[in-house]
Amino acid sequence: MLVFDQFNQAERPLRWIAAVVAGGLLLLLAGLLKVQILGHRRFEQSLQTQSFQSVRVPALRGRILDRDGRELVGNAPRYRLDVYLEALSRDFGREHGRLRREILAARGGTNTPTPGFWARVVGKFRREPPRLLIRPEENALLWRQARYQVVSNVVARVAAKVGLPLTLTESELHRHWANSRALPLAVLRKLTPQQVALLTEQSWSIHGVSVELQATRHYPHGALAAHALGYLVRADDFTDDEGDSFDYRLRDYRGAAGLEAAFDAALRGTSGSKSLLVNSYGYRVGETVTSPPVPGQNLVTTLDLGVQKAAEAALAAVSGEERGAVVVLDVRNGDVLAMASAPSFDPGEWIDGITRARWTDFYDVPKRTPLMNRVTDGAYSPGSTFKIVTALAALENGLDPDRVMVVEPNPAKPGKGLFQRGNIRIEDLAPPGPYDFRRAFIRSSNAYFIEQGLEAGYERLLSTAHRFHFGEQTRIQFRASEERSGWMPEPAEARSGRWPLGRLANFSIGQEVTVTPLQLAVMVAAVANGGTVHYPRLVDRLESGDPLSDETAYAVRPGQVRSRLEARPEHLARIRAAMRDDVLDPEGTGTSARVADYAVCGKTGTAEIKGNGIKDKVTWFASFAPFESPRYAVVVMVESGASGGRTCGPVARAIHEHLRTRDAGTPRPIAAIP
Amino acid sequence: MNGSLLQTRRTEGHILWPLWLSVLGLMVVSAMFIFSTTGGPEISRDVPWYLWTASRQVAAFGVGLVAVAVLMLVDYSRLARWSMVAYWLSVVLLVVVHIMGTSRNGARRWLDLGPIQFQPSELAKLAFLFAIANFLARPASELRSPGVFLRSLGLTLLPLLLILKQPDLGSSLVFLPIALVMMAVAGVPTRFLVRLVGGAAVLGSLIVADILFAPESWRLIRLQEYQRERLLVYFDADFASRSATPEQRQRAAQRKRQMSWNVEQALISVGSGGLTGKGWREGTQHRLGYLPRLGAHNDFIFSVIAEERGFLGSLAVIVLYGIILFSGIKTAGEARDRLGRLLAVGVVTLLFIHIFVNIGMNIKLMPVTGIPLPLLSAGGTSVLCSLIAVGVLQNIHLYRKRY
Repeated sequence: MLVFDQFNQAERPLRWIAAVVAGGLLLLLAGLLKVQILGHRRFEQSLQTQSFQSVRVPALRGRILDRDGRELVGNAPRYRLDVYLEALSRDFGREHGRLRREILAARGGTNTPTPGFWARVVGKFRREPPRLLIRPEENALLWRQARYQVVSNVVARVAAKVGLPLTLTESELHRHWANSRALPLAVLRKLTPQQVALLTEQSWSIHGVSVELQATRHYPHGALAAHALGYLVRADDFTDDEGDSFDYRLRDYRGAAGLEAAFDAALRGTSGSKSLLVNSYGYRVGETVTSPPVPGQNLVTTLDLGVQKAAEAALAAVSGEERGAVVVLDVRNGDVLAMASAPSFDPGEWIDGITRARWTDFYDVPKRTPLMNRVTDGAYSPGSTFKIVTALAALENGLDPDRVMVVEPNPAKPGKGLFQRGNIRIEDLAPPGPYDFRRAFIRSSNAYFIEQGLEAGYERLLSTAHRFHFGEQTRIQFRASEERSGWMPEPAEARSGRWPLGRLANFSIGQEVTVTPLQLAVMVAAVANGGTVHYPRLVDRLESGDPLSDETAYAVRPGQVRSRLEARPEHLARIRAAMRDDVLDPEGTGTSARVADYAVCGKTGTAEIKGNGIKDKVTWFASFAPFESPRYAVVVMVESGASGGRTCGPVARAIHEHLRTRDAGTPRPIAAIP
Repeated sequence: MNGSLLQTRRTEGHILWPLWLSVLGLMVVSAMFIFSTTGGPEISRDVPWYLWTASRQVAAFGVGLVAVAVLMLVDYSRLARWSMVAYWLSVVLLVVVHIMGTSRNGARRWLDLGPIQFQPSELAKLAFLFAIANFLARPASELRSPGVFLRSLGLTLLPLLLILKQPDLGSSLVFLPIALVMMAVAGVPTRFLVRLVGGAAVLGSLIVADILFAPESWRLIRLQEYQRERLLVYFDADFASRSATPEQRQRAAQRKRQMSWNVEQALISVGSGGLTGKGWREGTQHRLGYLPRLGAHNDFIFSVIAEERGFLGSLAVIVLYGIILFSGIKTAGEARDRLGRLLAVGVVTLLFIHIFVNIGMNIKLMPVTGIPLPLLSAGGTSVLCSLIAVGVLQNIHLYRKRY
């Protein structure tokens, strides 16, 4: 055989040569075996790392709908103008060459490739300009300059076409080039359809530029229900539970408040990824989608677009102060039909980042706090609306509602009543005179209810409040951090007798303690529906984001009962009747909420807050309607209002007027998404 | 083409079939993979087909085969009489290239003759081979004289130093082992050879030490910076001198990363090929520009083959080279005279060193040098000289029995 015969060559040197050649070739084979077979995985991995870059692609965020499937938050197309650096890379090279030649010429040298043979022979007899070299640092700067020249040129042409002042700074381009070269550079994020039409004209095109369609969060009703829905912020802090680490991430958002935050994971869906093939310059050569994103689920709320609009309009009609809250519940099952908080904000502003002026408005104006959802996240003294609790406690304590109690006049203010026992002196807004339960309720007599509260005693009063779950979160479907529990005294503290009588007196008329408007609405609903305390329900269900699928991913059962009051029906009936009379009786405090031919029942409240020497008020109107078969609970709260009757009553009236026309009273199931 | 010519001689076994089949196989591989590397960009740039690098390579093969056929008409011993003429001609060309050569990467290696660029160092290797074979073919008794040994040494050192001055360290160092092997086969006394090897070893380590460690002003051999850095990469030495400031050190480290790039990328190409490779024209390393753009089709052609055809492809290439080399050794054993044997041994050594250094460079066994892979690398001069070298083997085989 050819190879082995050579080892038996007659001459020693030839045998040696054969051995060395065979050894050398075997050594190469061994090396190749090591690199190609044993090292294959490692080098394959290096190849992957250097020539593929993964990009996280966010999924289309799920929509948020009202109970009838009407869109509260959706996604709208947005056109973006991108510049593709890889398409311009040849221009970069040309421009760089030009700049280089310019610099060399300016320095009186040349760096052109050596001329041909004959030119060089002749050149020996001529004086050639000196050859100059450009230092690498200088050359890198030249490249940077060349790229900026080319890209800004392109951008300027686009700007001229659409008639917009487009500016791209050198550092912006450099940052993009250094950090995310394989991705297109977005020069303009919001293009109008007219501008898109101009840019996509067939007769006009610029190399390296293209219009990209993107989905962006869209709020068809602007600031409507902003607090319930929440807003989105840029999600740059990927604490990835997705496991993968990506080279690039496309812009994504996360919910920062409200439902957007509470159901962020479901709404966001599952991000996908694509893999970019990049060349040695870092430019994109091709891309493949490695896993397509799964769109987020749609969230169907219990909100009613019409009721929400009416509630916000009514709240906005309050003159002067704009800080307040409205909540509308279905008393039969605890569904939240509307939830409004003022001042409000436009969630759409957050998409492109809010301005400094807005930031100041959001965070720096005392007491304004537009981002706070006052319905759940604001705890206020309930004032006289708390007399509903005191009334129930008193009735259960054996109060004869028809017994008359005479209230003494206030010596300082003749026309007003006064409660005095020992060193406790509490002024009344109601006049002095004889009061039975009904009259005391509708005139909101402090003296009467303090008397009854002291009679019932601390423990009975507090346990009655606890039966309405005051001092606890209602567990509405927000993040727990966005709901307050309100403040009720500690049972142990009062039982030990450390609570002075004066505090108990104040407790009886809703001072000293705090509640949220939602808690008050739950209480009103429980009184109205005959004693069932519901968990308020804001979310009905999550549905698959795929329009072809009608799969329900998650549903909240309606009418979940938290507890029953176990109160005697006649006690609740007496309170309901008193509430009706508060609105209906001309002597009542809530007459401003009266709706013709519709029995609105309510209780006003005006809590006084003393702090830092400033006197302020929180005014309330807690109501339900209609009296005959209660359907809706409406709670209105306005900060720094005049009084419950004057400030909040008209707001409640406007809302009840809308509710009255809403339907004929048959319960409507929540509709499927059209 | 030389077949018809040879058949007229009516003797059996004239043609070294395994040799020529292997050469043919390598030529096909060469054209295919040069096209794989350069075809795509050239088609997209609308280069006419006859100007493609692959087409030019095929043309060079054609020219080379014609040259081989013509040389086949003349007995190698008659050819060898012209060897000193060829030798001095190549020395003159090496001097000319020094004066008016075209420089690439700072080294003057090419003569630009309009449409054709010519690399005299490739020719010099062949001319030197003939010259030293012719010189050493004298009776073995004469070789014992130190004068003869010194003359043969001078014959070696003249082109070596001229090429080293280009500078082209890799090509110049090829001369030493060829000379050594041929002297050993010719029968130069061992004591001379030991001295030569010892001297070369001392000289070589001095050169390497000089390049790697000496301060700039002490350097005897002025390599281009990139050539020095290639060696530094191979020996994994520090780029910065010992007295460098931290900033200089940082810059040096960055340079080192850049210079290790080619080596690393060649390794990734070869390694990612795995057992069977990614398929012809499916390799990504050259397409995405990770392999040096100017080197993928010549110095780094093996990386491309290994990436696209895997270990099996590499194995095939090495087997083909093995057949050529062992045919050469066989020819040397069959040669009718000292000249024939020396020539055959020289050709085998020349080819083997090129193959070993080039393929070794792709798997980090050898430092990166500009030594082409015979018959596979794109490049007319290299192809021509490789074919002539193989043709010499055939010539020796053909005239082996005509005493």
